[in-house]
Amino acid sequence: MTTSTQKPAGIDPRGPRFGAAITSVLLLITVFLALDTANATSAFVLLSFITALFAVGAIFGNSKHPYGLIFKKLVRPNLAPPKELEDPRPPQFAQLIGFIVAGIGLVLGVFAVPYGLAIAASAAFIAAFLNAAFAFCLGCQIYVGLQRLGLFRKF
Amino acid sequence: MTIELKIGLILALLVLATAAGLIWKARTGLAKQIDSGEIIDLAEIAAVKDGQPVTKFGEKVTFLQFSSQVCSQCVQTARLLHELENNYDDVLHVEVDITNRIDLANKFNILQTPTTLVLDKNGRITSRIGGAAKAQTLQDELGSFQI
Repeated sequence: MTTSTQKPAGIDPRGPRFGAAITSVLLLITVFLALDTANATSAFVLLSFITALFAVGAIFGNSKHPYGLIFKKLVRPNLAPPKELEDPRPPQFAQLIGFIVAGIGLVLGVFAVPYGLAIAASAAFIAAFLNAAFAFCLGCQIYVGLQRLGLFRKF
Repeated sequence: MTIELKIGLILALLVLATAAGLIWKARTGLAKQIDSGEIIDLAEIAAVKDGQPVTKFGEKVTFLQFSSQVCSQCVQTARLLHELENNYDDVLHVEVDITNRIDLANKFNILQTPTTLVLDKNGRITSRIGGAAKAQTLQDELGSFQI
């Protein structure tokens, strides 16, 4: 993560959306599992897996994320070239937001807060779904607002 | 919790997310008119274009686009505004990166990027476009300046 004004090489914007589609399906399954205390452990394991992948995306960027690699190897060769390339930093920041929200869900799960994990996973699902279906990047959109609140000094 | 209730909650979540997406899509990128807006101080915002400080407004209209480094849609808006600038002599597009200018974000109450301020020939704010500007919104703005 850097604050340099030099622009990194662009990425295909459909890559992060492809990843968000997989993530939103997994999060929806997590919510479904978390609604039943009998499945609390499987919900926790699945959300841990999702959180770990968010961490990979937040630290290394979408192009090194497993979903990004699947997109590059299997999906992109079958698509027409994109209209314009995207700055890789916004989707990387979105991964960080996903990591934080999913991480809160895990913490709530550890303390067995009733439906805490389900609610956090639902919030993460909405963000991932909006990204996949509407190309709306919640984290990117509100970055300035969060920064004004002093939540992020630098990215 | 019964299976019916669980499926119902999952469906409700899907409906909620879809509704949020549709509402956002309908509302983003529209212009909000600003009555008696303030006059932009070009020196204060330190706008730079093609490596030179911007000292003059567009002859009829200036689109002042606030962007940030983590902005997936700023590029798209910049491309649209750049096209307008190329097609019309009296239109100026100025893009300011506010990633490290929290003072500007506070002053203009910017909560999302891109946010585009539409300025008249004197630099007075006449409207504000939150989110990726829609092409039709921009055409309507040009129309309001007889362009």
